[in-house]
Amino acid sequence: MRPMLQLLATIGAGFSFFLDVLHTAVTSPRHISEMLRIMATLVKRCIIPVGLAVAPVGAVISLQGLEIFRMFGLDRMLSSLLGTAIFREYSPALASVMVAAQAGSSIAARIGTMKVRGQIDALAVMSVDPMRYVVVPGVVACMLVTPLLNVLTNVLGVLSGWVFAVPLGGVNHGAFIEHLTAQITPADLWVGLGKCALFGTAVGLIAGYLGMGTKGGAEAVGKAANDTVVYTIVLILLVDYVVSMALLGAGI
Amino acid sequence: MSELLRTLSDFLLFARRALAAQFTQIPPLPEFARHFYQAGVGSVGLLTILTVFAGLNLSVQSYATFERFGGQDFLGMFAGIGGVRELYPVMAAVVCGARIGANLAAALANMKISEQVEALEVMSVDPMRHLVAPRLWAVTLALPVLCGYANVIGIGASYAGAVWQLGLDGGTFRSQLAEVVGLSDLAVGMFKGLVFGWLVALIATFHGYRAAKKEGAEGVGIATNRAIVHGAVMCILLNLGISWLLYG
Repeated sequence: MRPMLQLLATIGAGFSFFLDVLHTAVTSPRHISEMLRIMATLVKRCIIPVGLAVAPVGAVISLQGLEIFRMFGLDRMLSSLLGTAIFREYSPALASVMVAAQAGSSIAARIGTMKVRGQIDALAVMSVDPMRYVVVPGVVACMLVTPLLNVLTNVLGVLSGWVFAVPLGGVNHGAFIEHLTAQITPADLWVGLGKCALFGTAVGLIAGYLGMGTKGGAEAVGKAANDTVVYTIVLILLVDYVVSMALLGAGI
Repeated sequence: MSELLRTLSDFLLFARRALAAQFTQIPPLPEFARHFYQAGVGSVGLLTILTVFAGLNLSVQSYATFERFGGQDFLGMFAGIGGVRELYPVMAAVVCGARIGANLAAALANMKISEQVEALEVMSVDPMRHLVAPRLWAVTLALPVLCGYANVIGIGASYAGAVWQLGLDGGTFRSQLAEVVGLSDLAVGMFKGLVFGWLVALIATFHGYRAAKKEGAEGVGIATNRAIVHGAVMCILLNLGISWLLYG
């Protein structure tokens, strides 16, 4: 009974935090320059790990996909699998996981450190709303940066898949491009970008929530950063599944 | 650039010392058992939730993709090969690596900045042998088991997704699975787990050990963050390398 109640309490607190953030985000004043500063930092810090993590995925899909497609003599069709898998599923999900690992944990650690040192209370004393100045810019920055990074990872994923399919796997270049362009629709791209915006928002929200809830010392800060990564990954996989089912049901 | 090279050379030196400590002496057993329990049993709950969703997702997503060119019948093969050889081991390594690696790095960095490591050295206790080696052994041996577990749960979940949610024929799925997925694939998955576990532990202990006292509490955060990110990126890159060697 007690763990159930605790879970419900956490969900309720998280939801009211979300409403708080939403309300603060749509009312002025907005700290746009602070948001842009965070965005620049996030892009700088995330671009290399995210690129390095997603690029091999296309290569692996080509490598294993070719083996299956060869059994049926369909290796010309490989790029239809590769394209949809990268654009719709693996590039958004993995890019978001890496953003959670890199950006989410650092945002949580930053807010947690401010909280532990009493800087959040100091802001409130100076009648600067910490929600408005610290949390919301982080959430909005995550929401905007993740789709941006996803554009890059889409290109990297397809490129590495091409390398393993065409020069190394012996698939015809023309057939690869033809099936790629025939199968990938703008809808695929938008689905991927929309997922990224959703996951990015989740990263920012969880980081903000756990960071603001930090109590204690350095260890609590580390725990907030670590929990942000774990919870976000769970949430990303769960939401990804729900979205996939919904899209399959809607036939998109 | 020179910063990167310095870190790399530091890492190689650390790896040599850690390897020497790991393989020349038997680590203190109670320490090893404690870390093995924390790393292995502590990750099972998280891993179960994640693999169930990843397995279901693999079925649903591949179905949506294959449906476009009428290849739904490949689903069992694709879910089997893609899942067992690649997805589940990598996911286990990235997720458990994030959890375990962060804990290792935070614990060591905390000891480092509170000068407990120096205290050990003063007492002529080798920190490599007593702090690093048991952790390395624990994670290296725990991750293959976790990978094997993830494979079983993942296949079960993708079967459930295919049969109950998508309404595919269970018999076809099973026979395809039996056709393409053999013991060797499961063994490769666990072998990957062994390599990833060792790598994750080495990277995490390296970043934890490198934390300097002057960085203070922030040093712990930096060490944790780097342990997670570097561990995940290295596992994914290395996975491509291993797959390329074995299946390319």
